[in-house]
Amino acid sequence: MLQTYDLLYGSQLSQTNLELMSGMKLEQNSSLEFMDKELRNYTLVVAKNLMTVEQNRISKSLPNFFSDIRMLDEDDLKLLHSSNLKNPLFIGMLRSGSKIINYDLCIDGEKALAEHILISSSTGKGKSNLTSCILWSNLDKDYSGIIVLDPHDEYYGRNHLGLKDHPCNKIKNQVIYYSKNPIPGTISLKINLKAVKPSHLNGVISLTDAQHEALIAFHRKYQENWISAILKEEKIEGFHETTLIVIKRKLSNLLDVKFVGDSIICQGIFDITAGETTVNDICKEVEKNKTIIIDTSNISSGMEILVGSLISSEILNKYKRYKTQGLLRDKPVVSIVIEEAPRVLGKEVLEKGQNIFSTIAREGRKFKVGLIGITQLPSLIPRTILANMNTKIILGMEMGVERRAIIESASQDLSDDDKNIASLDKGEAIVTSNFLRFATPIKIPFFEDVIKKELNKKEFNHEMPNSDLKEKVIKQNFIGVNGG
Amino acid sequence: MKFAHMADAHIGSWREPKLKEASLQAFMKAVNICFEENVDFILISGDLFNTSLPVIDQLKEVVKKLKQIKEKNILVYVIPGSHDFSPSGKTMLDVLENAGLLINVVKGKVDEETGKLILNFSINEKTGAKITGMLGKKGMLEKKFYESLNTDNLEQEEGFKIFMFHTSLTELKPKDLAEMDSAPISLLPKGFNYYAGGHVHIIRKEKIEGYGLIVYPGPLFPNNFKEIEELKHGGFYIWDEGKIEYYGIPLYNVVSIIVDCHHKSPQEVRKELLTKMDNLDENNLNKTIITLRLRGVLRDGKITDIALNEIIERLYEKGVYFVMKNTTKLTTKEFEEVKLSLEKSHDTEDALIKEHLSKSNMSEFLVNVIGSNEGNNNCDDDSISEEKFDENEFIKEIMNTLDLEKQEGERIIDFEQRIKENIKKKIDL
Repeated sequence: MLQTYDLLYGSQLSQTNLELMSGMKLEQNSSLEFMDKELRNYTLVVAKNLMTVEQNRISKSLPNFFSDIRMLDEDDLKLLHSSNLKNPLFIGMLRSGSKIINYDLCIDGEKALAEHILISSSTGKGKSNLTSCILWSNLDKDYSGIIVLDPHDEYYGRNHLGLKDHPCNKIKNQVIYYSKNPIPGTISLKINLKAVKPSHLNGVISLTDAQHEALIAFHRKYQENWISAILKEEKIEGFHETTLIVIKRKLSNLLDVKFVGDSIICQGIFDITAGETTVNDICKEVEKNKTIIIDTSNISSGMEILVGSLISSEILNKYKRYKTQGLLRDKPVVSIVIEEAPRVLGKEVLEKGQNIFSTIAREGRKFKVGLIGITQLPSLIPRTILANMNTKIILGMEMGVERRAIIESASQDLSDDDKNIASLDKGEAIVTSNFLRFATPIKIPFFEDVIKKELNKKEFNHEMPNSDLKEKVIKQNFIGVNGG
Repeated sequence: MKFAHMADAHIGSWREPKLKEASLQAFMKAVNICFEENVDFILISGDLFNTSLPVIDQLKEVVKKLKQIKEKNILVYVIPGSHDFSPSGKTMLDVLENAGLLINVVKGKVDEETGKLILNFSINEKTGAKITGMLGKKGMLEKKFYESLNTDNLEQEEGFKIFMFHTSLTELKPKDLAEMDSAPISLLPKGFNYYAGGHVHIIRKEKIEGYGLIVYPGPLFPNNFKEIEELKHGGFYIWDEGKIEYYGIPLYNVVSIIVDCHHKSPQEVRKELLTKMDNLDENNLNKTIITLRLRGVLRDGKITDIALNEIIERLYEKGVYFVMKNTTKLTTKEFEEVKLSLEKSHDTEDALIKEHLSKSNMSEFLVNVIGSNEGNNNCDDDSISEEKFDENEFIKEIMNTLDLEKQEGERIIDFEQRIKENIKKKIDL
């Protein structure tokens, strides 16, 4: 199997003669023509060797001269093993050039999610659409749970079609949505201050060594009430007053809380009384293969990362315990979706110290916890982290430096694909993965079309068959409500 | 406007007569406080009774009190809770409502076009307060009601509005009730001035953006060991022109004794308990409930070696009103070390019996237990130790005897008697 990656002009004539004849035709004689033009001029196709079909292995030799060439057909696609996968994760439709082949490309979802996925492209090339499609196709699978930190509130579908409309959600409540401004039936995003530990602040706010030590000292002395103690200016030995004032200000700003009179006023999502079980609830639901969407559109970036950090730490610790207890095998893989991944995985951030996301990137796969990082700027992520992200879905990228960062860390050789990546149209992508035999071109369907197609399926139409039954069901449903 | 908000009286919940009486008294006392405070009306957010059809004795007392309330021109608004709601409609609350003693505010109709539930307001004429609410059902089945609730008419209504609910709210759930089924706050209609909650036995008031004050008053009297230990007593809230105050109902002093038995011998635990007992304040013991919680893994010996019942007996001799014990998290090292990997239940039983027999002396046990059984002892120490019997079989026979099921139509008292007789026959050998 060969893949064409470039087209060139070829000719039996010398370049000088070609230029001379072309110039004469343009300027003097419009009837001028090449002699035996079909034989003398042609298009050269530059192809690379993907695999040897008969032996079903990576190809290490070139086909012979005069070998027959034909287009890929459906039988050949069986080699991709997409349809036989136990835990398929849909990535997109197979693509040949701009032509879409009616074949869903899937990879082993359980492994791919645990070994991290990077989605990378310039603005407007379809990152969100791709993520939506992946999340949608994953909703009815029982091998994984996904946590999405959604800074643009675009996945749930608050005011438009979205994951909430998945038939599985209507039957099994598979999508759990947390928001500062919840819509009926969804959960208000409230997290109790007691859930926060000093380690959760790594990578969230910048702290000097003295400030960091002060936080730890407060935590040691006041345990889960350490933030309240800082806000109330409780005493602690061995720290300069200025340090304590600064950490109070930083925490107050980050958490949107303040101490007035004798009580703590909470204005944001962090609360002194509410939200005691939020983190635990999220972990519990994700273990039931659900998709948790956390709308972070109305909170600061720092707060969003803190929320992600809290949940991710809890999940990783839980899964570590499961491994020790021998229970990990029965647990679904958990994947955490982070937009603008360099905010937590960028070189600059990590130079200041490791955080939970870099820990997951390095060792999460051993505990079935992975990341789906989304970024326009993969070059900001250190190579060590990029190399750990075993599946990369590359959409169109204009900037050379970003393409090179991806190409250099890809699971397959993409050294010839630089131009290809630059010219990918909206929704077109190349997938490189340890779970694919070769870097595969795909086209991602338009998310709204996917939803509409699914909703038109008859099996999910739950309309009542007749009005009598409907009335009966309604009456039975509301026993206990007296007329009045 | 001044109103009281109480919930979860659970009248009739306790088995022990002393505590059963306490939950009734808590309700009586709460109403008396309402009289003293001159409230305009009373809200009861579910589970006034522990069952939909409470026993006559307690019901009689509650009806008397409700009649007193009515005579003082105070209206009582209730919603059925998960305990006193009945899907068949046969609930005492209906009877009390028909007798004009209370008003169930869960009233409305179903819009047959949309299938949506439309709730009506009950208006308190004295104050103009508009009250509505949603019943509570077991297993959070009321969630479907909320999902079908038309909130538009409720939110558009003007005036001072109260929404009564008997549901655990996800965002306000305490950590130790994390496993409890719950519904998000967003299911409640927005814009009410006061959300009178029940069901979760916590004392909490919280202001959530878009909603008014959301309040859980907790139970009127603690409803289980843990609640007695932690809450000590129940209570309720009184709302007075925007100010809200909690009124505790301390019927008894509660002294909670917790002993960490980890790595201790039964004798050491016993000594510790006796020391704590000696340090008890001698005053008001007849008004004191003591909770004893023992937890951890004993270093050696058996739990029975602590002789907890004897200690409890001593406490009663000192005049303590009521003593409760909890040893669910107490175990011994000997039992902890039994590890099995057998699949069939009888194999597991066999192995467990053998494992424990190797660590204890059954003959000694028989001497201690049966030998001390007054008036029913036809064997002495020697006869037991000389007697040769299959200990394994004996234990299995005892287990089988205890495994009998109640026959259809058999009264509980007869069933208990039958079991006792059978056990007696076995142990008499």
